[in-house]
Amino acid sequence: MSGDGKYFATTKKGEIHELKEELRVLDKSRRKDAVKKVIAAMTVGKDVSPIFPDVVNCMQTDDLELKKLVYLYLINYAKSQPDLAIMAVNTFVKDSQDPNPLIRALAVRTMGCIRVDKITEYLCDPLQRCLKDDDPYVRKTAAVCVAKLYDINPELVEDRGFLDLLKDLLADSNPMVVANAVAALADIRETSSHNLLVLTNQALFKLLRALNECTEWGQVYILDAISKMQISEAKDAESIVERVVPRLQHANSAVVLSAVKVVLLQLPLISDEAAVKALIKKLGPPLVTLLSEEAEVQYVALRNINLIVQKHPEVLSHEIKVFFCKYNDPIYVKLEKLDIMIALANERNIDQVLLELKEYATEVDVDFVRKAVRAIGRCAVTLERAAERCINVLLELIKQKVNYVVQEAVVVIKDIFRRYPNRYESIIATLCDSLDSLDEPEARASMVWIIGEYAERIDNADELLESFLEAFPEENAAVQLQLVTAAVKLFLKNPQPRAQQMIQLVLTYATQETDNPDLRDRAYVYWRLLSSDPEAARAVVLAEKPVISQGTATMDPQLLSTLLGNLSTLSSVYHLPPSAFVTRAAHTPAPSLDNGALRERTTTDDGVAAAAGSSSSGPVSDGAPSSAAAAAQPPSSSSLIGDLLDLDISDPSPAAAAAPVEELVEVMSPQNGKGLGIKAGFSRENNAPVFLLQLANTTQQSLDGFMVQFNKNSHGVAPASQVVQVPPLGPGETAGASVPLTTNPALINPAANPATIQVAIRNNQQGVLYFTSPFKPDILAAPAASPVDDNFFGL
Amino acid sequence: MRDYLGNVPKASSEIFFRKVNFWDKGGRDAPPVFNVDGVSYLYVKDGGVFLVATTRENVSPSLVLELLKRIGGIIKDYCGLLSEEAVRKNFVLLYELLDEVIDYGYPQNSSSEALKEFVLNEPTMLKPSKSKGDALFSGVGKGPTGVIKSILDTSRTEGKAREEIFVDIVEKISCTFSSSGHVQTSQIDGAIQVKSYLTGNPAIAIALNDSLVIGRRETSGSVNYGGYGRGGDTVMLDDCNFHQSVSLDRFETERTLQLVPPDGEFAVMNYRSTYPFKPPFRVSTTVDEDPNSALKAIITIRITPDFGGDKAASGLEVVVPMPREVARVHCELGRDAKSGAAGQTWDWQERARRLVWKFKRVQGGLEHTLRVRATLSDGWGPSIKKSIGPINLQFTIPMYCASRLQVRYLQILKEHKSHQPYRWVRYVTLSNSYVVRT
Repeated sequence: MSGDGKYFATTKKGEIHELKEELRVLDKSRRKDAVKKVIAAMTVGKDVSPIFPDVVNCMQTDDLELKKLVYLYLINYAKSQPDLAIMAVNTFVKDSQDPNPLIRALAVRTMGCIRVDKITEYLCDPLQRCLKDDDPYVRKTAAVCVAKLYDINPELVEDRGFLDLLKDLLADSNPMVVANAVAALADIRETSSHNLLVLTNQALFKLLRALNECTEWGQVYILDAISKMQISEAKDAESIVERVVPRLQHANSAVVLSAVKVVLLQLPLISDEAAVKALIKKLGPPLVTLLSEEAEVQYVALRNINLIVQKHPEVLSHEIKVFFCKYNDPIYVKLEKLDIMIALANERNIDQVLLELKEYATEVDVDFVRKAVRAIGRCAVTLERAAERCINVLLELIKQKVNYVVQEAVVVIKDIFRRYPNRYESIIATLCDSLDSLDEPEARASMVWIIGEYAERIDNADELLESFLEAFPEENAAVQLQLVTAAVKLFLKNPQPRAQQMIQLVLTYATQETDNPDLRDRAYVYWRLLSSDPEAARAVVLAEKPVISQGTATMDPQLLSTLLGNLSTLSSVYHLPPSAFVTRAAHTPAPSLDNGALRERTTTDDGVAAAAGSSSSGPVSDGAPSSAAAAAQPPSSSSLIGDLLDLDISDPSPAAAAAPVEELVEVMSPQNGKGLGIKAGFSRENNAPVFLLQLANTTQQSLDGFMVQFNKNSHGVAPASQVVQVPPLGPGETAGASVPLTTNPALINPAANPATIQVAIRNNQQGVLYFTSPFKPDILAAPAASPVDDNFFGL
Repeated sequence: MRDYLGNVPKASSEIFFRKVNFWDKGGRDAPPVFNVDGVSYLYVKDGGVFLVATTRENVSPSLVLELLKRIGGIIKDYCGLLSEEAVRKNFVLLYELLDEVIDYGYPQNSSSEALKEFVLNEPTMLKPSKSKGDALFSGVGKGPTGVIKSILDTSRTEGKAREEIFVDIVEKISCTFSSSGHVQTSQIDGAIQVKSYLTGNPAIAIALNDSLVIGRRETSGSVNYGGYGRGGDTVMLDDCNFHQSVSLDRFETERTLQLVPPDGEFAVMNYRSTYPFKPPFRVSTTVDEDPNSALKAIITIRITPDFGGDKAASGLEVVVPMPREVARVHCELGRDAKSGAAGQTWDWQERARRLVWKFKRVQGGLEHTLRVRATLSDGWGPSIKKSIGPINLQFTIPMYCASRLQVRYLQILKEHKSHQPYRWVRYVTLSNSYVVRT
């Protein structure tokens, strides 16, 4: 064996002892070899801290190579041996005054990396000297050192006036020093409350001048610093743009993207429309050039381009061809390209795009194929004049009878029907032919919706629905919801005995045998409507539905503008605001509650608020306006037995109202919960106690399989079922859930704090998390006069 | 391997490998940027080595990836190549380099040339593994020059090492043919790569075609020839960028790049062209019913190399995905007597349902055919032809340049007349995405 590899070879016992011996020899080159062995052991994770003093003894040497090795060791182990690390201080201080600038810089650099308080005290004087050193290499190292020190001890940095010295370096004659000073100040600003980069115009132009001269990395730091400045004068914006535009030609993708960000941020300030147009035109080619880079760089570029084209599609509208997928693109690049193709598709290029998408739909990767089929659907929904061509392509694909293609196509055709009602229904027959191949909930739910919605045009709609109903109890909740609605629609459109029988069956099951509150509530609403006023039911269920908007897939404008401000940062890759994944940054207001996750729970005065059963529960939203919920009352047990369609409810229970509804409180922040944020509270729903959860997934993966359990508590409260009824949570999604509760005397712990309950929640991806939720025992008390049917509500 | 800030878990490398290897149950590549428990992982893969960076901040991912790429390049420059073995054998040198390249997470100095001043360790060179066949041009990961030599050779061994400079025109071509055989989209991504081992870093001049035109055609399709138009010889590029060491004083007038090449390998110029070019291979397929059996189809694939007989492509691989109906295939190689079947193989990958036809070497101008007898699970139907493909080709053609960009001359501007370093100018065209739809 040759080279450094041999240092990894020793694995015998007593190795530490041997090393110790070797470190004591006088021969310099043998001693250096010994230190290399120590570093090798350290690299592979062995603990070589016991020989700390012996290694530090080698520190005082003229051999720069040996010195560097010892420093490397020190950085690694000083924290575990703070008292011994002090031994090194003298050498450091001496080195920081060495005539050789390399040694001065090395000393300051290393001291900054040793995160031991006692050492940092000794660091201040050398640092002060080095910040004013004659040699730029030392100054640039010292600038970074200020940031290191600030991270360890901010007060010390402020007391010693290092921040001002650092700001002085912004005007340094050496661009490398300027760049490091900018980087250090930006870093310090992240943690401190001071706004350190408030720059005068003069300083701004100094930075812009340094831009041309410093390294590519320095350029990125300066550009990012400029992007964070508040520019308000059009004049300033114009001169920034003028200086920054040449950076778009840089070979380093980070420089290009940061420059694009700076230019985009200045656009609103520039009033000359022709100038803005010209600028936007200049952004296109450099962005396209990024796609010639390695796949990794392409991926980051594509995620950023995705944001840019949502705001300024004209930047790349003529370049759609470069986003066509290549055979050898990694899947993560292909999926991103598809998104951008959809965003750039217009009536001029749609034929080309469709031709491509059709090819993709025959590829091997299932996810990619699915996404391609969805893309065709999205083009149909957004481009009215191309809709027919899109549908033809979808039909061709369905005829190839590849199972997952058919399923995906059904899902998107449902959306097309909702976008263009009464235009393309002629294709329903083709869809019905492939009914048997649908085995995924979303596809089945979509198909059921189509059958229900167009029951009058499908000759055997009742037969088709019946075939679905056979397996009703085993269906996924989303399909069940659609089946209930479809059965009601069928009945209202064609009240034949067969339909009546079907609806009776479905509603009975949905009200009596399911433990899914959404399903049960929706069934009750229909039941009540049908039994009290069939005309009203018709008005509600068969109401004309609003045409879905084309923007189903676009981003919230506020989030988009946040992300565009964070272009060329991780935030723009994750498509999440920085606060969602950066733990150190100051806490920003939580993102606005996502639509309907908490629904009316906190506002209605009615305990059965969730009964609306419309908005977020299924893939298809139905006409039933949520105000219908107010009319619904929990039927008393006696009326359940009566004739379904003659349901007589003369006895609206008075006590249904006024259950205590609690605000949900944050019991776990995403930082503490491995990226899962949890709000929780206790309340009553349908006259029964429930535990309400709001789960916010800020991780990069989808979370599912949520289960919940309580520790023994003062009232013996426990979830009726450990399974939390919540759909899989995609990255960035938020969902609410309510967990029905029971009480069990066996679970009473009289010693527990009656005001809190300890909760454990788990999911398939993150394992178990623990938190404590405030608890008010009064949710357990059923309102006195309520005729609660235990069989039903007791769950 | 090197922790600059001490704010991520020690086990992060472990977490990274588990994530990357089991992304989507191991079925596919993890995206190069992902977040686990608040720690972002960014990686590039080069020469079988993962270069990974971690952060908790909202950093610029492009900066991190560019830096990782650069570190990979620096390791290649110093150790000759990037591999696990090279990293292991040179870890002290790499620590030393990394300390200069990055300080507290900020990239400082990333030029192999400038770093020489700061490092003291000697590299340990590795012999390239012979397993991969043709060492030259055998993969993008190794760098196109295929020269395994540390940049420290010139400075440390005073004159003993060979004085040489390599200039490579590397073009990756993407081409999509429609089912009717027309080129649907095509693109060339090219680079002029220089790897210099000249002592004293003399300036060099690289002269390109006179007829080089840069700029995109206007929307109407008319081209701005800018005075360089010379009929069919014009080389047209959409866009290009240059290394920061390049002086463009003589570029506008003489199409000559002047630079003082720093040591190490770097791209003097990157360029991109979507102007049409002559595709080096044409592929045609025919599908016929087998007159003797209802459950068989005969598929004929014909490859026509459309370049001069003095050139040859190496490692041509033709991948033909087959429709679901195809249960088995049997192939006949070299039916046309002229070219024979030497160096050709075929392989039926049943699970992936694809036929792979490989050539060691394909000489220009010589046509090859593969006759496939496919056994069908259902009967014959005209839809079979439609569901074959798309066919993908991978190849390397040395001394071939799709864009016709040329180095007219390479001049080393050094005083000594006696001093004659070796100068190598090479061309190579690689397939990027070469797809024939059927």
